[in-house]
Amino acid sequence: MKKALALVMAGVMALSLAACGGSTANSGSTTSTGSTGSQNTNTSGTEITLWTYPIGSWQDSATVDGFIAKFNEKHPDIKVNVEYLDYTNGDDKVTTAIEAKNTPDIIFEGPERLVTNWGAKGLMVDLSDLWTEEATADISQTSEAVVNACKSADGKYYEYPMCMTAHNMAINYELFEKAGALQYIDEETRSWTTDNFVKALEAIKESGLAATPAIVYCGGQGGDQGTRALVNNLYSGTYTNADHTAYTANSEANVKALQLLQDLNKQGLVNFDPAAQASDELQMFANGTAAMTFCWNASNEATYASQVNFTPYAMNFPSDDGKAELCGGIWGFGIFDNGDQAKIDAAKTFIQFICDDATQGPASVQATGFFPVRASFGNVYEGTENAERMATFATFLPNMGDYYNVTGGWTEQRTAWWNMLQEIGGGTDVKTAADKFVTTANAAIAK
Amino acid sequence: MTTSAIKKPLKQKGPSKRSTVLGISQAEARRETISAYLFLLPFLVVFVGFVLIPMVMCLWTSFFDSTMAREDIFVGFGNYIKMFQDEIFWKALMNTALIVVVAVPTVTAFSLWVASAIYKMKGAACSFFRCVFYLPVVTGTVAVTVVWKWMFNNYYGIVNYIAKGTGLIENNVNWLGNEKTAIWCIILILFTTSIGQPIVLYVSALGNVDASLVEAAEVDGATRLQTFWKIMWPQITPTTLYILVITTINSFQCFALIQLLTSGGPNHSTDTIMYYIYYKAFKLYEYGYGNAMGVILAIVIALFSALQFKVAGKRD
Repeated sequence: MKKALALVMAGVMALSLAACGGSTANSGSTTSTGSTGSQNTNTSGTEITLWTYPIGSWQDSATVDGFIAKFNEKHPDIKVNVEYLDYTNGDDKVTTAIEAKNTPDIIFEGPERLVTNWGAKGLMVDLSDLWTEEATADISQTSEAVVNACKSADGKYYEYPMCMTAHNMAINYELFEKAGALQYIDEETRSWTTDNFVKALEAIKESGLAATPAIVYCGGQGGDQGTRALVNNLYSGTYTNADHTAYTANSEANVKALQLLQDLNKQGLVNFDPAAQASDELQMFANGTAAMTFCWNASNEATYASQVNFTPYAMNFPSDDGKAELCGGIWGFGIFDNGDQAKIDAAKTFIQFICDDATQGPASVQATGFFPVRASFGNVYEGTENAERMATFATFLPNMGDYYNVTGGWTEQRTAWWNMLQEIGGGTDVKTAADKFVTTANAAIAK
Repeated sequence: MTTSAIKKPLKQKGPSKRSTVLGISQAEARRETISAYLFLLPFLVVFVGFVLIPMVMCLWTSFFDSTMAREDIFVGFGNYIKMFQDEIFWKALMNTALIVVVAVPTVTAFSLWVASAIYKMKGAACSFFRCVFYLPVVTGTVAVTVVWKWMFNNYYGIVNYIAKGTGLIENNVNWLGNEKTAIWCIILILFTTSIGQPIVLYVSALGNVDASLVEAAEVDGATRLQTFWKIMWPQITPTTLYILVITTINSFQCFALIQLLTSGGPNHSTDTIMYYIYYKAFKLYEYGYGNAMGVILAIVIALFSALQFKVAGKRD
């Protein structure tokens, strides 16, 4: 009796542990037909998984579930499961999934991950068949840079884009007004020169209306497009060469810009803050601690709308010639190559519905808070409560500069960038720090 | 159950099968052993699957140039050679050593001090203090770091507010953004999140000290210090050893605070080995290199623990 009980208990414990292991079996997927086109394969009864980074309301399950419900009205046999990633741990989760060979079917992010990182490693499906002549022409009409960003060096498309934006900066309008600094900005074009930027910083500091005029956040990589754009625009430098094969952040123009920022830091006109990431800087802009933010866009404005008691006035970055080149943001879908053609085809069907459907496409874009890559969608915010606000941000789109985020070694150079800013903020010789950054970043390309 | 009741069924067995020592037949002893192993089996499976095999894999991978979506390339001790030429690794090792050297003794000493002050208190008061000190342990790391980040904020943090108010500093200090102060902030936060368990353990250990020995020493004229050092300390040494070992391991593995507060900055002043392993393995996909650092970290922790066992074990 005792022996039997012991065996039963041991068995129960062993089984309970096995149960914790879960199952990786696919449910409901159909047999592969070997077809590469989404239209020619039977996807009925297929279950696919979507992982989405927090892009606007695409982090809100009610919104995404609504889109899936609409998709299922047209494609009831394809079940879509969703998991939501954040930018703190999302990459780690994807890395773990890749190594465990348990990646999702679809992932929603930008070319720096989908094309430059996972695509270049051969983990993604070539989406060339989604890039029809019509789609390519439509997207090209908006921006040729978007088309190029979604394409790898070997000509394969690893991303099908849905929306885009041009990241800008913002100032506390009322604070600028009280400090007498509005005279240094061109309100018509929302632009300013480097000289006027410095004068504005001086006016704000003198007024004492903010704890610090500006924060050069360098506590991490989040929102680093802001600090890159700030440095590149001050004296019209470039981050990479034209064909995206080398980093050029140690150019004469960039070193001059970094030197200016270091000098401003010493004067207390800007504050290099290694303890602050972009989210911290945004929070300190929202609560009035800083008079401006270098990490602004339409989505951030919507996020912080309820927290600010002033007018966050979107601006171009200051530049020596007054003509800013803004960093672009492009978001779209990629498909991990899990070797199941039925799932791949189902994933393509889903992407086409979300991005291209005449009704759903604009709704999908609206949820991001950004702008459509398809010119044919026109103004997707027309007639909505956000129409006026988004019209303002649309004026920044023509200023979008080179989309250099597809340069190799992107992940490693991001860490090297904020480390470099920390060094410069700490007083390291600017040229030495910039050279070190470029050496590290270019070495990462070769890896 | 009486002894005779236990032995009763044994008497039914033949005398040739009985153990001469315990009065249990060899067959029954074998069955008991099998049962014991069956009970252990699930945990053995977990231990082998989640500890032993990963350890072997870690060691194995450390000899390869291993990265994502590519066949591993055997490099022998290449990762180890690269590691010892890596400035950031050395900086991270030094930071980790500093954290251990400062945090372990202070956590142990402070915990003992607090425990010796509260273990004689009445039930409710003692429980109150145990809860207070244990609260940071059970509070989520993210919540703890958010609060500390706010407290250390350069512009409106309460630490600057108090320090300026009391005249300790003239201008605001960017505690987490300054190379000289950031690591000490990390150690302070680690300290507050580490003392809970040792205090609870010490309260329990001190409560179990033989009161008659303490009273006898007091009757013989021993001072309070002598009573503690000669009577109580030897009896709580096993607890101290356990606290030393777990605090050392936790300090060596300091990661979440770094990731959430400083990302290793400024200028790598708060990089630790654990964070650097994470960065290399998860951000740059340098699995072989990350594993090599993991092996070295494991060896260092093992050496520290062995040293502690040796030193504290002698006293025991």
